[in-house]
Amino acid sequence: MKMSKNTAMTYARPILIFLIFGIVAPVLNATGVISDTTLNLWGRYFCFAIAALGIDLIWGYTGILSLCQAFFFCLGGYAVGMYMLLKTGAQGVYGSALPDFMVWNRVEQLPLFWEPFHTFTFAFILGLLVPALIALIFGYLAFRSRLKGVYFAIITQALALGIYLIFLRNETMLGGTNGLTDFKTMLGFELADPATKRGLYTIAFTALFASYFLCRAIVNSKLGRVLIAIRDSEHRLRFIGYRIASYKVFVFVIASMFGAFGGMLYVPQTGIITPGRMDVQASIEMVIWVAIGGRGTLIGPIIGAVLVNLLYSFLTGAFPGTWLYFLGLLFIGVVLFFPDGLIGLTQLKRKK
Amino acid sequence: MKPKRHKFLRAICIITFALISGAQSIHAQSDHLLQLGRIVSGNRDSITTAVKAIADQNDLAYYALMTALFNGELYLKNGELVVIGDLQEDDYGDSFAPLYTAYPQRQPILNADGNPLIAPLIDFEEIDSNRRIRALIQPYLTRMEIFHPDPIKRRIAAETLGNRGDVTAIATLRNALKKEPDSNIQNLIHVALGKLELTSPNPDIRLNAAKTLKERNNTFVLSFLRARIEPDANGAIPESNPAVQSEIRKTIQWLETFEQIMVVIQTTFVGISLGSILILIALGLAVIYGQIGIINMAHGEFMMVGAYFTFIVQNICLIVLPAAYIDLFFLLSLPIAFFAAGSMGLLIETAVIRHLYNRPLESLLATWGISLILIQLARTIFGDLTAVKLPQILSGGFELAPQVILPYNRLFIIGFTCLILIALIAFFFKTRFGLCLRAVTQNRDMSACMGIPTRRVDAIAFFVGTGIAGIAGWAMTLIGNVVPNMGQTYIVDAFLVVVVGGVGKILGAVVAGLGIGISNKVIEPFAEAVYAKVLILGLIILFLQLRPTGIFPAKGRHEDE
Repeated sequence: MKMSKNTAMTYARPILIFLIFGIVAPVLNATGVISDTTLNLWGRYFCFAIAALGIDLIWGYTGILSLCQAFFFCLGGYAVGMYMLLKTGAQGVYGSALPDFMVWNRVEQLPLFWEPFHTFTFAFILGLLVPALIALIFGYLAFRSRLKGVYFAIITQALALGIYLIFLRNETMLGGTNGLTDFKTMLGFELADPATKRGLYTIAFTALFASYFLCRAIVNSKLGRVLIAIRDSEHRLRFIGYRIASYKVFVFVIASMFGAFGGMLYVPQTGIITPGRMDVQASIEMVIWVAIGGRGTLIGPIIGAVLVNLLYSFLTGAFPGTWLYFLGLLFIGVVLFFPDGLIGLTQLKRKK
Repeated sequence: MKPKRHKFLRAICIITFALISGAQSIHAQSDHLLQLGRIVSGNRDSITTAVKAIADQNDLAYYALMTALFNGELYLKNGELVVIGDLQEDDYGDSFAPLYTAYPQRQPILNADGNPLIAPLIDFEEIDSNRRIRALIQPYLTRMEIFHPDPIKRRIAAETLGNRGDVTAIATLRNALKKEPDSNIQNLIHVALGKLELTSPNPDIRLNAAKTLKERNNTFVLSFLRARIEPDANGAIPESNPAVQSEIRKTIQWLETFEQIMVVIQTTFVGISLGSILILIALGLAVIYGQIGIINMAHGEFMMVGAYFTFIVQNICLIVLPAAYIDLFFLLSLPIAFFAAGSMGLLIETAVIRHLYNRPLESLLATWGISLILIQLARTIFGDLTAVKLPQILSGGFELAPQVILPYNRLFIIGFTCLILIALIAFFFKTRFGLCLRAVTQNRDMSACMGIPTRRVDAIAFFVGTGIAGIAGWAMTLIGNVVPNMGQTYIVDAFLVVVVGGVGKILGAVVAGLGIGISNKVIEPFAEAVYAKVLILGLIILFLQLRPTGIFPAKGRHEDE
């Protein structure tokens, strides 16, 4: 009896959440109850949440602190951004088939690496594959030499900084400091159209929903058990005979792909992607979303990502100048007082 | 001393003046009376004649007069020649200017109270010059500037005279060489002479000139020398004598080698300079990391705290100290920067980090939070951009060769880093506390059993580590502005230094810091600074393949978890 009630609960809750965010919210938006801006904002939060899920897999479950998730997020974002910018084509300010920033950098011909981004399929595949490949090579080198803990965190941070600096340059043909912007259409849909925005929101939420279940499948599999075991006692696992490095590389790659996926869905909704999204602070902020929500749970990072970004929108509007203080205190407070985040708090109550 | 009362230069009593300035011959006396009289007349033609006559002599006494005429600052006041200073305007829009004498030196004219005389411009008549007159004055000015008290003027004059190719300047240059006290400028004069003599009709002089240029190690004459032995537009080689030609070739060859040596030296110097900054920052990090196993992400911000305290001390000193001793602020602020940053570190250690020992990843996040708060705090209090004045003694640089200058502030930082290193090593290996520190680093539990108060040792290590960050910030004010996010510039590199150097090893930090600093600067000429950075990161990752725990790993068995 108790068992079946629990099963009912496990299905009822996700269905309810999907109904609220996936169907009711867009319908309310279409009827004018929820403003376009609010819906768009939440759509972006969901993209952040997808990237946060990636961090949760590698940090919350495997215990490896990676400080370059925002970099992967941006790689995905740039891939889709490049596709959309090429589709803008002659509608740009200068009326050239080349993106505007190239016109003003006096570039005559489209650089070769931009060519694949003419088609969405390639842009999508590259957007996932490039981050995965970078994570694979970097992770292989790092984990093979058993870099871990603080060392790994520092090295990934240096990687994020290095790539960030490269993206800032004009000659890398990625738009420099101004990044990519002035997108018009996505797969033929006008981006300015509220219906397109609603569609993007719904896709973002569905993607988050799917990502959650994918992560759950990973975590609950035998593979997931190994990951948790790495977090809890790497040495014992190594002595048993597991090839730790392979598992770590795997989770690093998966995390990077979640990050990139989030970025891909994010850029069409904001209409701009700049290197500012991938600076050193951006990555570490993503980690704090996970910490606040509750790492080592799957719902925690989602709640954390949405909550912190809601707070950000609120505070920067209501009390400008206080955000950094607040964020700093969040970092310290969470680590000191709620190491298991908000989810940890609720579970603590339940136990009592 | 009571200021001398000035005798105004009057056209009518020039004779009096001529009599008291007496050192020159009667002929010269009457000559300059003549020239001054011509200028006073205000007649263009007379002025031109006077300027021509003056320009032919190498008499420094006319320098002030000619400069004023050249700049349009020469005026006639009741028949006296005066030079005006910077114009001032009163409330009615009338112009006033302080007055100076025009001959034989530019000195302020004083009123009866002994204050500089400031007079309305409307009372005077300007002595006009035109382009023709100015063109006549210019070569004289350059020749005279080689005797100017200001070394920068002499330097420029020496270079200009050498480049202009006017052989009449040779005599002036030789004369100047005898009087020149500064060896660097002497050198420049030699080079200028060499360049001029290389065009002499006498092949012996040219041969000698080529040899002189070889000795003088000035690479800026290279293009000039190459032009001498290469065919010009008409296909003729300017240097016809084969002996001189071969001497010039030798000189070119040597100067090219010399240029390369200088490039190597300068790259190494800049690299060591960057390296020493990284070491200075990384030392504090390494002390803390070695002791507690925490990478202090707020380390850069403790640097910033040190820099801001230097700034505060400077501003207090500007009020309190007499102007002559103002540079003392820099010495005064050193201990203050150390203790301010250290105490703040101690405070944060007690409040936050103490609770996070054995949780390195979490403490990384918490210290990042601290850094955000400190940056925002600095921004709120001080605004965005402030700077500390460079102490007089550290401005300028050591001139290794012309244009190869090692700035004193960079040299100072290199030396200072060495000092801090020695002090730190002495602290670690010669004091009882250092012994405790090393013991706790090696085996915390065993040290506790032996009665070492490990918690207090941790706290003091944190104090010392953040204090050194404060000192690094103090030193950084010498080479950059004081801004809220100044800590971020070098911090990631400093982290890498610690990672590459090995767990909390001072020697590791030194080797890694120098290595990263120098290789950065070696790569930079071939690739942009940004790509150099990325390339270095790649090299570091490859290096860690070989030595995963850094250059100097902790010896013996150690638990990983």
